[in-house]
Amino acid sequence: MDRVSKDQLHYLLLKTHSLTGLVPIGAYLCVHLSVNSLRTVGVLPYQLSIDAINNLPFLIWIETIFIYIPLLFHSFMGFYLSKNARYNLARYRYPRNGLYTLQRLSGAVVFVFLVYHVGTTVVPKWTNGKHLFEAAPFLIEIMNMEFQTWTGRIIYLIGIASAAFHFANGLWGFCISWGLVVGVRAQRNAALAFSLVGVVLTVMGLATVFEFSVHPESTVPTIAGVFSGKGGG
Amino acid sequence: MASDNIQIKVKRQDGPESKPYWQEFEVPFKPHSNIISCLQDIQRNPSTCKGERVNPVVWECNCLEEVCGACTMVINGRVRQACTALVHKLDHPITLEPMSKFPVVRDLHVDRTRMFRNLKKVKAWIHVDGTHDIGEGPILPDEERAKRYVLSECMTCGCCLEACPQFSKDNNFLGAATFAQVRLFNAHPTGKFDQEQRLDAVMGEGGIADCGNAQVCVEVCPKHIPLTESIADVGRQTTLQILKNLFFK
Amino acid sequence: MDKRARKFVVIGGGLAGLACTMKLCEAKAEVVLVSYQAVKRSHSVCAQGGINAAINAKGEGDSPDIHFYDTVKGGDFLANQPLVRDMCFQAPAIIHLMDRLGVAFNRSPEGHLEFRRFGGTLYSRTAFAGATTGQQLLYALDEQVRRYEHDGQVTKLEWHEYLEAVIDHEGVCRGAVLHDLRTGEIFTVGGDAVVLATGGPSQVYGRSTGSTVCTGAAATSAYLQGAKYANGEFIQIHPTAIPGHDKLRLMSESARGEGGRIWVPKKAGDTRSPRDIPEGERYYFLEENHPLFGNLVPRDVASREIYDVVFNKKMGVTGEPMVYLDLTHHSKEYLDDRLGGIIDIYEKFTGDDPRRVPMKIFPAVHYSMGGLWTDFKDDGHGLIDHQSPRNQMTSITGLYAAGEADFQYHGANRLGANSLLSCIYTGLMMGPGLIQYAKNQDKVFENVPHQVFEDAADKWKDRIKQIKSMRGKENPYGLHRELGDVMMEHVLIVRENAKLEKALLLIDDIEIRFRDIHCLDTTHWANPTPSFINQLHSMIHLSKIITVGALLRNEFRGAHYKPEFDLEQPHDFDPHEYVDYLEQKHYGEIPEGAFPEDHLAYMKRFEANNENWLKTTIAHYGEGKPHISYEPVDTSLVPPRPRKYE
Repeated sequence: MDRVSKDQLHYLLLKTHSLTGLVPIGAYLCVHLSVNSLRTVGVLPYQLSIDAINNLPFLIWIETIFIYIPLLFHSFMGFYLSKNARYNLARYRYPRNGLYTLQRLSGAVVFVFLVYHVGTTVVPKWTNGKHLFEAAPFLIEIMNMEFQTWTGRIIYLIGIASAAFHFANGLWGFCISWGLVVGVRAQRNAALAFSLVGVVLTVMGLATVFEFSVHPESTVPTIAGVFSGKGGG
Repeated sequence: MASDNIQIKVKRQDGPESKPYWQEFEVPFKPHSNIISCLQDIQRNPSTCKGERVNPVVWECNCLEEVCGACTMVINGRVRQACTALVHKLDHPITLEPMSKFPVVRDLHVDRTRMFRNLKKVKAWIHVDGTHDIGEGPILPDEERAKRYVLSECMTCGCCLEACPQFSKDNNFLGAATFAQVRLFNAHPTGKFDQEQRLDAVMGEGGIADCGNAQVCVEVCPKHIPLTESIADVGRQTTLQILKNLFFK
Repeated sequence: MDKRARKFVVIGGGLAGLACTMKLCEAKAEVVLVSYQAVKRSHSVCAQGGINAAINAKGEGDSPDIHFYDTVKGGDFLANQPLVRDMCFQAPAIIHLMDRLGVAFNRSPEGHLEFRRFGGTLYSRTAFAGATTGQQLLYALDEQVRRYEHDGQVTKLEWHEYLEAVIDHEGVCRGAVLHDLRTGEIFTVGGDAVVLATGGPSQVYGRSTGSTVCTGAAATSAYLQGAKYANGEFIQIHPTAIPGHDKLRLMSESARGEGGRIWVPKKAGDTRSPRDIPEGERYYFLEENHPLFGNLVPRDVASREIYDVVFNKKMGVTGEPMVYLDLTHHSKEYLDDRLGGIIDIYEKFTGDDPRRVPMKIFPAVHYSMGGLWTDFKDDGHGLIDHQSPRNQMTSITGLYAAGEADFQYHGANRLGANSLLSCIYTGLMMGPGLIQYAKNQDKVFENVPHQVFEDAADKWKDRIKQIKSMRGKENPYGLHRELGDVMMEHVLIVRENAKLEKALLLIDDIEIRFRDIHCLDTTHWANPTPSFINQLHSMIHLSKIITVGALLRNEFRGAHYKPEFDLEQPHDFDPHEYVDYLEQKHYGEIPEGAFPEDHLAYMKRFEANNENWLKTTIAHYGEGKPHISYEPVDTSLVPPRPRKYE
């Protein structure tokens, strides 16, 4: 351990927390939200994207290593760190202090949301044994059900907005923490750019929710061979 | 006339372990007077609004022109120096509290030893060969001097720490003032020689990575020190340092 | 015994105390550094303008000898010359050292030190770090001492007060009685020598440019123990300060060094805004009366001129005791870069922006040229023998003084930017001598009977107990303000014997009332009241030293202005005439008609006056009051001559 002292280990841990927020979690969030926004184009493209993912080999490993472990690490580090925070927004009402408070709040909200989101989608998918081409119809049906009610819609609206905010604001924090952005003006410019990222992600998410709510279309389950059979002839 | 008097509520505490309590005082209004002159008035007539004789309020002050940092306290809910808190610019009644992030010694007087200890931790000095005459110091452009000068105006008053949501009595966060000093000394041609040691010192628990970027520090700094910029800069320095340690050592 | 590290007690964490501590640590000594508050908050932070060193960076032909001449002339020749000369010769090395320690001195285009002009000289000799030079210098030394503290050589006792020196039966100082201002505990520390670097006494005047800790109590305590106090009556009044209820805040001389102009409206009581008063209707009295030095005349001269304009000519701004200090002809950028710190102070305390409107200022008590008498040993060549243990030693063996607490270097009036220099210089210079003293002593403090230390501590335990039992009617803080008012009214810029006598009576009265003080707070934890009452006691004695010294000194010299004894220099007099006069006298008779008659008469008056008064005032404590005697001044290097700044 002569490369890294005990003190530096703490540093590495925190830096990793900051980094996991960007990759893979942040990157995944972007992919997830933009892929899901295919739903606004139509059910079929959306369905195909789910098919593509659910046909990946070693899916469970990919998800565990690149999503679940970083996510759990990021979440638990986040909770551990925010334990130290002494919120004082009431006394010191500055925008940045508001964002600091909101960052920790949104992190907690996203965590709760994800428990719900994973618990109502991926978990039943696994327990019901819906793999490969069976996954998409199953999941789309769940989503259609979800967005029938205002409760579902609101849960998702809050969840998506929180995640987008947490990511965009976290991106800004990442840049400062790693020293990518130093000057006061550079910090301000970065904040502007990242808030744009946040807005785009939120809009994509909301559009998807809207589409689901307004057109809860089901699809014919696709199975292996149906497409190739039609297209191949 | 009642309107010519100022009401001042002071949060008092007899010792580090005692319970705080509030007392209310009334002092005559004088144009351009500051909180210090009000506290001095209380010294000259230490009785509360209820007419009760009490011990004069204990507070810390020295230069009275905002260069020593001693008289920092929480005035109307906001941390600042009492000497530059002009009475006619404050909301009334005025409340005075000790800083909450440091142990109270007595009344408004707190113990800021932790800040000085932190300066030792990060080796906030320049290691010279000796005080004997070995000629001129390093030649450097005035622009660089100017950047260091703003950092070296830090008077260790503790405003940035009091207002920092990440800094508390029961953790060991170093805080903005210390990080700015690391940047100050690392920016000096000779001070740079100890850069690695200084960076190591801010990479442990309570170090630079613990900063949550609430950026209240820079808002309350009475000397307008570019604290957030310094934090980002030290962030950059530590990033390069850890990369170097991990991959190029 | 030779293995034992030398141990010193340094009282005061300002520039002098820190410089001395650093120098001692470098010589492998151990130091207990005692400070009334956190070292980093010492009064040195208030110094703004800069620090002098004749480096001749601008090719103006400046040299340490010219610096020396300016300094002794500025001090009206009352300073012992070898010391001043040595200081001026060390000055360039001191600046370079401070630069190496990381002080952010302003730089020239080539990256060398930048210098600006200051009062009392025609050369750009003042190095500066923005407008907070004192703060920057103090921090640099604080950092060095922190390094030694980190290494275990320095033990800092912050929040401790020096009460008295521990003096053994042989009359040698062996340590100090200290007062822990938090626990209230009284105890002693031993040392091979004790250094008092405890600053000036400006709190004697109540409100001044000084910090609240500048009570002069430590130096007075040494005086009460028998140390000689010298030149107490020489109190510098800084011409430009911002009036205030709690303090008169300094507006640095650098404002004038950077071209600031002092004026009043020509029409007394003019109520127009200063910006509406055309150039022709302004009275730039310093520039008109002193064409050569203009606004940069020495401080005593500027203060008297302002006093004259305000009180004799009744031309103060809107009839009040204030004049304008105008910087508005400079650009905002220039001012922010060169004077940012002091401009902020003015703006914060008055709400007016000096970049747009002229500042309103008035003189204020600023610095004590006098202080504890200290010794020195010259090397026979007009400089100081740095190895001598006599350097900076008070009249009590083993007790040293440095910085504003001593009396050397500035004579009857200090030049701007020389105080930071003298503080650092004394602190550094005395180091080798202290080590020599420790080496040479035949008995170390550990071998002094324990009883000596116990008695000293017991005396003060009783004293504080007695103070705490005071149950009279007088509020100590109120009495302090009254003392300050007495001093401000009677012993300030213009001194008249009748008023000085009255002041003495009023001080006696305050001393009587002091016995009837009420110790407002008798608790045992972090209680500043007993300590303050004790300091007030010291301040009363100090006010007597100042006032009696002023009363007895029947002349006009530097900051000590007695109009009654003004020698009335003829307007067309040239100080060089006096040098010729002395030379001619030396070679025999003065030929008739060699000098205009009034000049000759003036020069004879001047010579006779020097015969009487070119002497150091020595105050010796006895029976509750100062006993004044006089000592010759070492003027071996430059013959004293009349001052003129026109």
